[in-house]
Amino acid sequence: MSSPALMTSHNQAAAPAAPGTADALSQPAFARAIRWFKLNQDKLRALLIGTASLILFLIAWHLLTTYRVVFFVKFTNVPAPLAVYASFTKAIHDPKFLMHILLSCRRIFIGFSLAALVGVPLGLIMGRFKLVHEVVFPIAEVLRPIPAIAWVPMAIMLWPTNEQSIVFITFLGSFFPILVNTLHGMTLVDPVLVRAAKCLGARETSIFREVYFPASLPHIFTGLTVGMGVAWVSLIAAEMISGQFGIGYFTWEAYSLVQYADIALGMIAIGVLGLGSSLVIRAAGQLVMPWRSR
Amino acid sequence: MSQAAADTRQGHIEVRNFALSYETIEGAVEAVTDTQIHVQPGEFVSIVGPSGCGKSTLLNAVAGFLKPTSGVVTVDGHAVSGPSAERGMVFQQYSLFPWKTVRENVEFGLKMRGMPKFERARAARTLLGLAGLEAFENHYPERLSGGMKQRVGIVRALATGPKVLLLDEPFGALDAQTRIIMQQILTNMWQRLKISVLFVTHDIDEAIFLSDRVYCMTARPGSIKAEIQIPLERPRQQAMMMSSEFLALRRGLMSLIREESLKAMGGEITDLGMQGLGIELQGHSIADIL
Repeated sequence: MSSPALMTSHNQAAAPAAPGTADALSQPAFARAIRWFKLNQDKLRALLIGTASLILFLIAWHLLTTYRVVFFVKFTNVPAPLAVYASFTKAIHDPKFLMHILLSCRRIFIGFSLAALVGVPLGLIMGRFKLVHEVVFPIAEVLRPIPAIAWVPMAIMLWPTNEQSIVFITFLGSFFPILVNTLHGMTLVDPVLVRAAKCLGARETSIFREVYFPASLPHIFTGLTVGMGVAWVSLIAAEMISGQFGIGYFTWEAYSLVQYADIALGMIAIGVLGLGSSLVIRAAGQLVMPWRSR
Repeated sequence: MSQAAADTRQGHIEVRNFALSYETIEGAVEAVTDTQIHVQPGEFVSIVGPSGCGKSTLLNAVAGFLKPTSGVVTVDGHAVSGPSAERGMVFQQYSLFPWKTVRENVEFGLKMRGMPKFERARAARTLLGLAGLEAFENHYPERLSGGMKQRVGIVRALATGPKVLLLDEPFGALDAQTRIIMQQILTNMWQRLKISVLFVTHDIDEAIFLSDRVYCMTARPGSIKAEIQIPLERPRQQAMMMSSEFLALRRGLMSLIREESLKAMGGEITDLGMQGLGIELQGHSIADIL
């Protein structure tokens, strides 16, 4: 929005023939620019401070590592930011590093998708049919507090391949948040909306599709966001314990091989991937729920 | 809708020997007892009464959401067995679908009936035009004012061409100015469509201004205390609310409701520390004091 405003004022300045009119015309453009800044003040402020804060973090990291500070925690072996950057530039040309990342993404995609495909419908059905709720809920409540990592030995016994057991762990991690939030969304559906639909001639399946499902969507997406976070936690843990590939394995292997810069690189990669996948979910949420975005 | 408008014989509500009670741990609690009401085709009837008297319960039974413990509810001779599109309902909380645009909300009943997309969009636009909402057809309800939301609610209930329109304190959440305008809009629509209306409110002015007939209910357990004809001529104007005829009706209804409200609150007031306010209750009835 700012660029057209700036362009107009620039054009006006380039026309020196009638300074009076040029001034009069550039005035609103200038005023517009000022107003734009005022309206977006908070966002600009957050952006500026956020950037400054990140830069400060990098500087602190740099200083702590170059001077090898020892103050309760030891920075003696921690890689410096520039060393991490160097190993990053090397890694992006290394097909093995990219393969690690791709494999982790694939596991997340399969495990998370399965969790969503089972968790959301199951939650919806449990919310609608008492018997299903009564049967499934106790089992879910017993299994839910078990962290996905605790499933690793069991998963290795259950599944024929290592790959399958890691995907299973990822699935488990995201499954329960998705299920629980979907169910929660179903219990919060405004009964007046259901009555309104009935008064307008809606039958059971229509009420489910037109009222219960869209009304639960915000909670379903909360579940998907939380589930995606837990999926990454579970995946990285599983890869570190039993993997031969994947970004979690890469990070652990870097430690074993005394490639300290790669440890930080692996961590940052995991952070970026986690952030990216939650952004994808948020974007999907805005796409599916246009009434909630302004 | 045009069929409903053409056939004024439709939309006869009849409630006979009606009673409804809830089961609680202490036993059955009677909400409504021994009630008879009726609405003639094309008639505008209101139910007023003190809060908690069961007027909404009665309306919900006509809508088909509650089953009477005894007695029957019929519309055009058919017993009501559940909610249906032939009885349109407008709720106090608007109850628009937040995930649907204004037009999609209005289309909902037509969609449920299986009307093709293009046709129902056209029908909805026409109706929205009547309510002065065509400019907002693509807005989501969240962005509308209370009055606009309720106009959408009324239009949505009318879109399927119901035989009767049931309104449960529809303007209760609106400010006084908006409420008056909404009353006028509702009257206009009702006169155009010649539809039977059963209207629940606790606002006496509203009941008199809108109705052909007003039922006044007793305190819980609710039953009909009085039935009052409203002979004011139509079309009614805002200025009528100052006429002596209106004020006389208002006084009559007011005292009926006051009696019932005191009956309903009597127990509470004795318990709620009138002593602390320095008011002596001994030897006086609460009605005397208030």
